Amino acid sequence: MSSRRSRASVSEEEINELISRLQTLLPSARRRGGSQASTTKLLKETCSYIKSLHREVDDLSDRLSDLMATMDHNSPGAEIIRSLLR
Amino acid sequence: MYAPRKFKKAFMAQLLVSLRAAGQASKSMGLRERRDAVRLSSDVAMALASARAGEAPRSTAWARALVARHAAERRNEALMRRIMGGAGYEMAAAAARSRKEARSRRIVRRSRRVCSGAERKRRSSLTAASGRCSAMAAARRMVKARLQVLRSLVPGGEALRGLSLLSETLDYVVCLKTQVELMQCLCKGSRPKLG
Repeated sequence: MSSRRSRASVSEEEINELISRLQTLLPSARRRGGSQASTTKLLKETCSYIKSLHREVDDLSDRLSDLMATMDHNSPGAEIIRSLLR
Repeated sequence: MYAPRKFKKAFMAQLLVSLRAAGQASKSMGLRERRDAVRLSSDVAMALASARAGEAPRSTAWARALVARHAAERRNEALMRRIMGGAGYEMAAAAARSRKEARSRRIVRRSRRVCSGAERKRRSSLTAASGRCSAMAAARRMVKARLQVLRSLVPGGEALRGLSLLSETLDYVVCLKTQVELMQCLCKGSRPKLG
């Protein structure tokens, strides 16, 4: 029983480190000011954050494809590069 | 070690290449197809660039799974061949097939366990052990449920457990944020043109 605990505690440290790094990534990190969130809350927030990022990427794909449609079909990449370098 | 600037440069460069390929391929596409082509280009660019996101070449489960997911759809073949090259596409398609088989095997294993009553025995033995601390058991169940949702959101997550799921999630979220940032940059950069 004790051997299982010591094996688990090594990876528990790693898990805690990953969890705290994840916490700093989430948008609420700034507001919370460093207090420990429960694992469940953290996971819930991570899930909703990933979903909102997916939605943003979808929306941006829409806008980019509209922009590309209005550009010269032969080289939309060139147009974008040119406009970025302006 | 993760190197953000290297990743962003590789990502942006690959994104422009991929978008050019998508633009050429999308001449005869409808609205939704074009949007999907842009999404594919962006996802594949992100996955390819993430291999160059560190000091040494690295491979993440989410990147492989994301590319395999797009490769699994036949209609994406032409565009993906353009972006990744024939060899790259073949590898992605093979990965997609083996993922499909692995998923079916997992489903069969799980249903066998449930049908044999072994699952019921396993669950009852777990609750017996933690019966003394039912609040902890409930919390563990909630964490488990959340992890399941996370698995469905991170590409390739279904095959990951515990530590690797968390570390892949971390990496994936960082790359997703960069994806949003770069695509916003492209949208803004293009706007003055449309005056």
